Amino acid sequence: MDILEKIPSRREVIESFKSTGGKIAAVYPYHYHRALFRAFDILPVEVWGPPGIDTTYGSSYLQPYVCSVVHSGLSFYLSGGLDVVDFIVVPHACDSLQGLGSVYIDFVKPKQPVFTIYIPRGRKDLDVEFLSKEFESIFNRLKELTGKSVTEDKLMEEILKEEEALKKVRELYSKREQISLSDYHFYRVVRSREYLPAEKFMEIADHLLENFSDGTEREGVPVIFSGLLPEPMEILEKLEEIDGRIVADDFACCGRRLYGEGKSNNPFVRMAESILNSPPDSSRGATVDERVEHLSSLVKKYGARGVVFYIVKFCEMELFYIPHMMRGLKERGIPSVYIEVDINDPLPDQTITRLEAFVEVL
Amino acid sequence: MKLIDTIKYRLTVDVAGRAFLRYERFLNARRLKNARFKSENLAPPLRISAWTKELISLHYFRGRYVEGHQPVAYVTSGGPVEILKALGYYVIYPENHAALAGARHAQMELIQSAEEFGFSQDICSYVRTDLGTALTGKTPVGKLPKPDLLLACTNICQTVLHWYRVLQKIFNVPLVVIDTPFVYTEAPPHAVEYVKKQLENELIPVAERVAGRTLKEKKFKEVVKYSKDATELWLEILNMGRHIPTPISIFDQFIHMAPIVEMRGDKVTVDFYYAMLKEVKERVKKGIGSVKNEKKRVLWDNLPVWYKLSRLAAELADRGVSMPISTYTYAWGELAPLIDIERGMESMARVYLYPILNRGTGHKLEVMRQMVKDFKLDGVILHSDRSCKPYSIGQVPQRNKLMEEFGIPALLLEADHNDERAFSEEQVASRIASFLEMMEVA
Ligand code: SF4
Ligand code: SF4
Repeated sequence: MDILEKIPSRREVIESFKSTGGKIAAVYPYHYHRALFRAFDILPVEVWGPPGIDTTYGSSYLQPYVCSVVHSGLSFYLSGGLDVVDFIVVPHACDSLQGLGSVYIDFVKPKQPVFTIYIPRGRKDLDVEFLSKEFESIFNRLKELTGKSVTEDKLMEEILKEEEALKKVRELYSKREQISLSDYHFYRVVRSREYLPAEKFMEIADHLLENFSDGTEREGVPVIFSGLLPEPMEILEKLEEIDGRIVADDFACCGRRLYGEGKSNNPFVRMAESILNSPPDSSRGATVDERVEHLSSLVKKYGARGVVFYIVKFCEMELFYIPHMMRGLKERGIPSVYIEVDINDPLPDQTITRLEAFVEVL
Repeated sequence: MKLIDTIKYRLTVDVAGRAFLRYERFLNARRLKNARFKSENLAPPLRISAWTKELISLHYFRGRYVEGHQPVAYVTSGGPVEILKALGYYVIYPENHAALAGARHAQMELIQSAEEFGFSQDICSYVRTDLGTALTGKTPVGKLPKPDLLLACTNICQTVLHWYRVLQKIFNVPLVVIDTPFVYTEAPPHAVEYVKKQLENELIPVAERVAGRTLKEKKFKEVVKYSKDATELWLEILNMGRHIPTPISIFDQFIHMAPIVEMRGDKVTVDFYYAMLKEVKERVKKGIGSVKNEKKRVLWDNLPVWYKLSRLAAELADRGVSMPISTYTYAWGELAPLIDIERGMESMARVYLYPILNRGTGHKLEVMRQMVKDFKLDGVILHSDRSCKPYSIGQVPQRNKLMEEFGIPALLLEADHNDERAFSEEQVASRIASFLEMMEVA
């Protein structure tokens, strides 16, 4: 059976969740904690674009030099794509998402309440303290809006559930080489966590681990991808065609969210600890060296032969790091290539040729 | 700090440099004293310009000899500079340096160097300009000292965070990040507390260690007082623009804002703005407008287009259009009331949280609305600055609202504050022409 058949679509998940009385929160990229919403019977469904939609809607609020993720994200709302949701959540990852949150609140004024989350740019005690209070204030606002008297114990229960799901994601990553699935299929599974309830996601992950781990090693030139997201997902099929395979990633939607577990017994602190204990990433202000170190360790651990920086056009926070990261990797004998994409455009031939040339020399 | 460097600094800067620049100012002032309307329609430069020039020249001249004499910090424009000033730092604002390069048309070579190194054309052109300097050492001011400390405050954008990470990589010195959560509507108490603690527990200890000194409360309060006084004076100067005709334009403001950004916390800055205010008041008294025969008054939103300043000023002046105020120059004045010396770090935390760039798009609209009323404006030009997303996002609906509410023309002008390649002469000319037509001054 094709694993994809086991994964319900976003629409199906939303409909079925709502039919049981639950509510939906549309969540923009990329750091937040799912348990905060699940405790109120709200299912977070992430909005990464979606790619390939008509972005002219967004142009009535945004200039053309704003990235395609934000353009699509707003266009999706304006074209009715988010009519079904009950809340909108905009975490703060960059100037463009900051602008999106602000434009929502001040101009678009959707019928749904809008939440913003400021993610601190460090990982010190002070940052944990701030983020825990940020979570607490959202928790209190959700209490008010939903009228539900959710206890901190209930929240902790949800946190533990999410931690279990996260363990599964980590297991999928660590056994990646033994799972006989194409990158396209693998990322469809991993990214279903963007909208599936933890319990459903674990069911699918277990099925995958039981039925698709036949011990045969995958073939193809091993590479690591770094960037925001593997969109358009066609890139994964193209990579396979040119005999490349992803062995690990530093994608904002995936690898950068392999959070560590929190330790505290206070649920807000625990969530904050977990988020801030994620791999170094630009949105949280990691140093160039930390990021080079992280990528090099992935290369070493998974036997990759090169790194592909797969960057969304206009994404400043990624663009800043590229020159020094590429040099840093080169000094360690790791080749890398930089490719720019617009998630709304079909993959240009030039991109494929560049990737092909890179994989060939590895 | 080394004694030999201090002696060198004292002789070169304090004795020779100061005297030379003072003399040059005297000559410039004499020239300016009798200046008449330069172009047909543009008022002569303010006499204070001679002093501005002296201050900026001295500032960068000091920079050439300061290494070894004083600790050097690179700071973002909205950063908590008062703490560093009180610790005796010499401070460089890379953004100001980049603006200066832009105004002197020296930026493109630097931008190209940064791009050759691999920096994308899609990152802020201030950054590309300054990274050009950091990577090649080239600068229109002769020489920039190397920093001992980097201080990035995210209250203007997230871009600075990444920019300073790159500087940290290049210079290999400590970087302190003061993270100021974006204020969508109001800053919650935990955000104020967060910023306050970062100032107290992170910035001060690191800055003290690097400077080898301890922060003295008395000195800190003195610096904050100068900062507040200068900011208040700046605000008063800007508000003089409410007079008809406006005695100063945004073009004057762009030129004379350097001290409030770069020398906030110094006594000389207070004296300077005091003198500037006096001169502007004099102009009001004499009825001198920034443009001759002022017919229409227009608001400027966002950063200036540094490399086209004088041309834009002349073009508008020729049609009797003045520009009395901009959201950008106002940003350095509007926080004055928040500075409360007695409430120490907590008040400073609020000040650093509330710059216009750290506030929502609705707040900026409100500021513009108020300006249209207070400065009796007939139109708005919103510079849609390709390089500065935090400032520019929101301008499309802001423009629409302003047109709708006030029935005045509002133009979204696509350009870039420092990268000339993003400035299309033809397109800008035709857009400005139709804007002027709508104001009936074409
Ligand atoms: S792609 Fe980059 S700029 Fe766009 S929303 Fe994501 S992080 Fe921000
Ligand atoms: S992005 Fe804007 S606010 Fe940030 S440094 Fe550039 S011009 Fe300044």
